[in-house]
Amino acid sequence: MSIERIDPELCTGCGICVNSCPMDVIRMDEKGEKAIIKYPEECMCCDYCELDCPVDAIYVSPEKYAPLMVSWC
Amino acid sequence: MSQARVVETDVLVIGGGIAGCFAAIKAKEQGLDVTIVDKAYAGKSGSSIAAGGWWMVFNPEWGHDHDASMEDVTVNGEYLNNRDWDEIILKEAWATYRDLVSWGVEFPVASDKIEGYWDTYFTGPRAARAPNLPWGIVPLRHRKTSPVLRTQAEKVGIKIVDRIMITDLLKQDGKMVGAVGFSYDTGDLHVFKAKATITSGGNNCFRSPGFHTACLTGDAEAMAYRAGAEITGKEFPDTHFNLANYPAWKSNAELYAAYMYFTDAEGESINGTVGFDLFMEFAVHAGRGPVIWDLDAAAPGDVEAMREYVRKRANPVEAERIGLDYTRGGKYPCIGGSAAGVSSQQTSGVWVVDTKCATSLPGLYAAGDSCGARVCGASHRGPGFGVTGAAVTGKRAGLGAAEYALQAEKPVTDEKELARLKELIYAPAQRRSGFSPRWVTQVLQNTMIPYFILYIKHGERLQAALTIVEFMRDHLVPKLMAKDPHELRLTHETANMVLNAEMILRASLFRTESRGLHYREDYPRRDDPTWLAWTKVKKKQGRMNILKEPVPREWWPDLFKPYQQRYPERFPRE
Repeated sequence: MSIERIDPELCTGCGICVNSCPMDVIRMDEKGEKAIIKYPEECMCCDYCELDCPVDAIYVSPEKYAPLMVSWC
Repeated sequence: MSQARVVETDVLVIGGGIAGCFAAIKAKEQGLDVTIVDKAYAGKSGSSIAAGGWWMVFNPEWGHDHDASMEDVTVNGEYLNNRDWDEIILKEAWATYRDLVSWGVEFPVASDKIEGYWDTYFTGPRAARAPNLPWGIVPLRHRKTSPVLRTQAEKVGIKIVDRIMITDLLKQDGKMVGAVGFSYDTGDLHVFKAKATITSGGNNCFRSPGFHTACLTGDAEAMAYRAGAEITGKEFPDTHFNLANYPAWKSNAELYAAYMYFTDAEGESINGTVGFDLFMEFAVHAGRGPVIWDLDAAAPGDVEAMREYVRKRANPVEAERIGLDYTRGGKYPCIGGSAAGVSSQQTSGVWVVDTKCATSLPGLYAAGDSCGARVCGASHRGPGFGVTGAAVTGKRAGLGAAEYALQAEKPVTDEKELARLKELIYAPAQRRSGFSPRWVTQVLQNTMIPYFILYIKHGERLQAALTIVEFMRDHLVPKLMAKDPHELRLTHETANMVLNAEMILRASLFRTESRGLHYREDYPRRDDPTWLAWTKVKKKQGRMNILKEPVPREWWPDLFKPYQQRYPERFPRE
């Protein structure tokens, strides 16, 4: 499913990944302390968040993923 | 979300990739106040994130041949290349390379020893069909270039505003005076008032998951079109390919760079030319797919060349993650046209009327992938023209916009027009019923991305797709809904993609011939007397109108030369 996890134990809250993502998948949590996966549907598997993370807290899976197409919505 | 932030500047640059950064830096050098606004993070977003290609260097002292270069790009571009622009890019490529070095970009080869002829990087039968490039190319380190450009832009005092979705250009008394958009973090309205505006927002793609360019949703062309500009070249699709099993695989450097040997599913070689072409799509259309990248056929020398190339490019390699080890061979299914919806680089885009990147709208300049300079004509030539073309058109746009801004008056914006645009921006957030942008995007993908619509074209199928896209334009786009500012961005992107789809289909229907990357099954030959011309779409009384702009006579091929000699590449059934 593209971006799979941001390890909250490792995340230092630096926010680099938020700016690395051109798709606005990642945001800081409400307290502004940790990065969270907010909009996974938009992930394009570019891996830039993972590559830019200074503490290797992010994992992007190579598995293909597409949301199910429902009739209208 | 109603608080408006207003920025006043001399030159506004929309999109901070390679083209936008070059444009901003050159405009700033003229002593002006310059602002870059980016949909994501200037220096990291757009095509620049994938710009691990080749920088062109052209230096006659090193044996680079001017006439051979012009001939190469002209034959490959099938006579639709703008030769004035090709001359400029060859001439100015060296200066952009020196700019990058002086700003701190490290190239993996020493600057006094430019290698990079085609055969240095390419092996196998695909390369054997092409002679050396007549110009030089230097491999770029993936993702290492544009962050340096951002740092340089900040250093010289350019203002950068990140994470703003620009929706529309501002017009006052027939002149372009900035742009409006919103923050998808806060939802706040942002108004940029500028004496001159440069659009460098990249190309369009349909959010296809086959390339890391899903952030490019044709915003630049869409907003320029809505403002009344002319958009050219939409009928020529980009055909970058990638691995089917991991479509967003970034390490495709190996795939592009080294052992370019492909077969159909039966194992028969289907190698096309060395420019970008439709060879994969032709095989699939003939029922011989999937296309296979056949590493088993690679000789030890090919593997060594690949290893060397990957080392020089210093690409992040996560090949292991998908079980790919190119040193051990293997057969890997490929997808053609993986950046579906992208049109040929710098051939498609906002029509520029001169070599200063001015558009038909006073005060609006275009650079990079959204600049319709027609650099490579009907088929993207590949190494060198993409990123270096972005830098050169960027520089030229920066200088052109600065020259204009220096004599322009302080921008005045019409409050009524601002109120109208503001209402358009936030309308999806007000709706309580309608359609989600993700669903509409998915319908659009399913309509446009099939190979038999976007690549292997036929009038009947194009018309069928156009009927659906027109329905989407009239019935789905006006009812897009957004729950939050993030989704508000999606609604505007979706509307822009639908508009780009209509441009692609209309331009493709209009060009009743085949040429370069545009293949019509119902018109499988080039038609020189009729179609040595560019297409332009333009809004007229609210509808999409399409125009033909003839290629100057002096750039035509010799029509007494036999067809087969004018055009070395064959289309199926021509």
